[in-house]
Amino acid sequence: MNTVPHAAPAPIASRPTMIEFRDVHKYYGDYHALRGINATIKAGEFFSLLGPSGCGKTTLLRTIAGFEDISSGAVLIDGKHMADVPANVRPTNMVFQSYAIFPHLTVEQNVGFGLRREGGTSAEKARRVEEALEMVGLKGYGKRAAHALSGGQRQRVALARALILKPKVLLLDEPLSALDKKMREQMQVELIRLQRQVGITFILVTHDQEEALVMSDRIAVMFEGQIAQLADPETLYRRPNSRQVANFIGVMNFLPARVLTEAAGRIAIDVQGLGQTEIDATQAPGAITGGETSVGFRPETLTMLYEGQTTTERETPGTIEEVVYYGDMTYYDVRLDGVDSPVRISMRNVFGRPVLDIGTRTRVAWSAGALVLFR
Amino acid sequence: MKGQGLRLYAILYLIFLYAPIVLLPIFAFNDATIISFPLRGFTTKWFAALADLPTLHLALKNSLIIAVSSSVLATTLGIFAARASTRYEFPGKGGLMGLIMLPLVLPEVIVAMSLLMVLLGIGIDLAIWTVILGHTLICTPFAIAILSAAFQSLDKSLEEAAYDLGESKLSTFRLITLPLVMPGIISSLLISFTISLDEFIIAFFLAGSEPTLPVYIYSQLRFPKQIPAIMALGTILVALSVLLLTIAEYFRRRGLKKTGAKDTGGFL
Ligand SMILES: Nc1ncnc2c1ncn2[C@@H]1O[C@H](COP(=O)(O)OP(=O)(O)O)[C@@H](O)[C@H]1O
Ligand SMILES: [Mg+2]
Repeated sequence: MNTVPHAAPAPIASRPTMIEFRDVHKYYGDYHALRGINATIKAGEFFSLLGPSGCGKTTLLRTIAGFEDISSGAVLIDGKHMADVPANVRPTNMVFQSYAIFPHLTVEQNVGFGLRREGGTSAEKARRVEEALEMVGLKGYGKRAAHALSGGQRQRVALARALILKPKVLLLDEPLSALDKKMREQMQVELIRLQRQVGITFILVTHDQEEALVMSDRIAVMFEGQIAQLADPETLYRRPNSRQVANFIGVMNFLPARVLTEAAGRIAIDVQGLGQTEIDATQAPGAITGGETSVGFRPETLTMLYEGQTTTERETPGTIEEVVYYGDMTYYDVRLDGVDSPVRISMRNVFGRPVLDIGTRTRVAWSAGALVLFR
Repeated sequence: MKGQGLRLYAILYLIFLYAPIVLLPIFAFNDATIISFPLRGFTTKWFAALADLPTLHLALKNSLIIAVSSSVLATTLGIFAARASTRYEFPGKGGLMGLIMLPLVLPEVIVAMSLLMVLLGIGIDLAIWTVILGHTLICTPFAIAILSAAFQSLDKSLEEAAYDLGESKLSTFRLITLPLVMPGIISSLLISFTISLDEFIIAFFLAGSEPTLPVYIYSQLRFPKQIPAIMALGTILVALSVLLLTIAEYFRRRGLKKTGAKDTGGFL
């Protein structure tokens, strides 16, 4: 996993608003691409738009850049309505999915492109280009032909070119999707570092949930033109407000459940296989209506107990149906007694404890605090 | 065996295509008025004779003016049309583009005649510019076809990026779009120039008293003693065409190399 030193930034909630969407709708002909987007993005925030392909992430990003007119509602940047502000004067710059490096120009001509309109001597501009190249780790590449660069280098040129104008907001449309896994992970760390360094708002579009979790201060999960949940990564992972969000982010087990009583911030439920238990109302982030529903829990919140091992948590017996060995981890699919479909359990492989075989009877420890209740 | 037949076909085809052209320089340098073998001896007098034909000079000048003007006009119109058809969706686009491309398949004699009737009908005197009009009309579809391909291969986000970086729509076009479609523009200019230069029917109908090169050549074929000089003229034209294509191909390849684009085939 990537790590970046934390400089204890101000809490998100206390920062001034940079972008505001007010009931934004967008139609392409009859197609309703954005269906009432309401959200605020704070100054200096690393914000991600996450969702499956075609859910409207790019469209929403382009309404900020000014490339897409909205059908109704309002987009505000730094408190100003953007309705009549064309893209070329908005305080935003964009890193395109294809990078859009000008193939007929050199690296430094690409990076310095936005400076054409600015005052200042050419020596001053050359210095700024050099600085921008250094910032993205391309010092000395200025004279190269842009079309001869590798994917990762093009990405850096695109970043330098967008950042040189010191925009209030940097927009990134799936900037890492064209890179291989290693390069992608390296660029994730670099993007976080860059964002801390320049301190401006970054808005990232991605369909990769892991990327969003690693990089973002907050994430808006989108489905079909709507924001399903907007929260920080930990909340999204631990307290998804719908099965759809839960399924999109990481792996989530589901079991049928029934709400028994609801009182004083506590909810009593009966879960198939696990039996009766009580959870906190905060563990039901989506609206619940009572009656038949389901609970979810992440694979790592379950533990398989070994022969003779005892637990202070609740335990349920089951049979191992599938074993997938990952080196540091093993994934077990275990069918709990009295449950229709197996649940996935991830166990860290510890020296001295063998990987268990298919068909082994086992006991699974779980705690009510790790459950999420869905409607 | 199949390959053999194909090779034979290719050889025959090339002979059929190029033999007449090879004959041009042979007889242009032949010291005889009659076009027949055996050859009589080497001479350059037919080329020298070209210098003493004032009507030829006028025809050449007219043809050049017409070819340059109509290729520039057709290419300019082509840029607008190709740009509109590749970037924007509008109602009736398919039908409109079809109409614009129609002269491509319309018999030229029909185009020439209808233009002539219109021009005479509204009482306009025939002159060089009426030929330019006709040639622009027939060259524009070719220009659009070539330029559409060029605009189509242009990534839309390149223009958006330039606009995003503060340029106006116009300067974006000048700084990004134009340089990147330049190979297409050169191709279009060249093809239009060539089409116009050797076009006969429209020039014949619409030129009035101003001869163009093909019209002049046709008129001279009635005088047998002029034929070797025409051969010499033809030789010069072939040499110039080859030179022109070579230059254009050079610029096209250089353009490709500069932008690192894939070679999708040119003229040569
Ligand atoms: N210019 C357009 N015209 C018509 N439909 C479009 C256009 N752009 C996007 N769409 C549609 O809008 C939806 C959302 O697109 P997009 O924002 O690109 O999705 P994402 O970036 O989340 O993959 C898609 O169904 C797409 O087909
Ligand atoms: Mg997209």
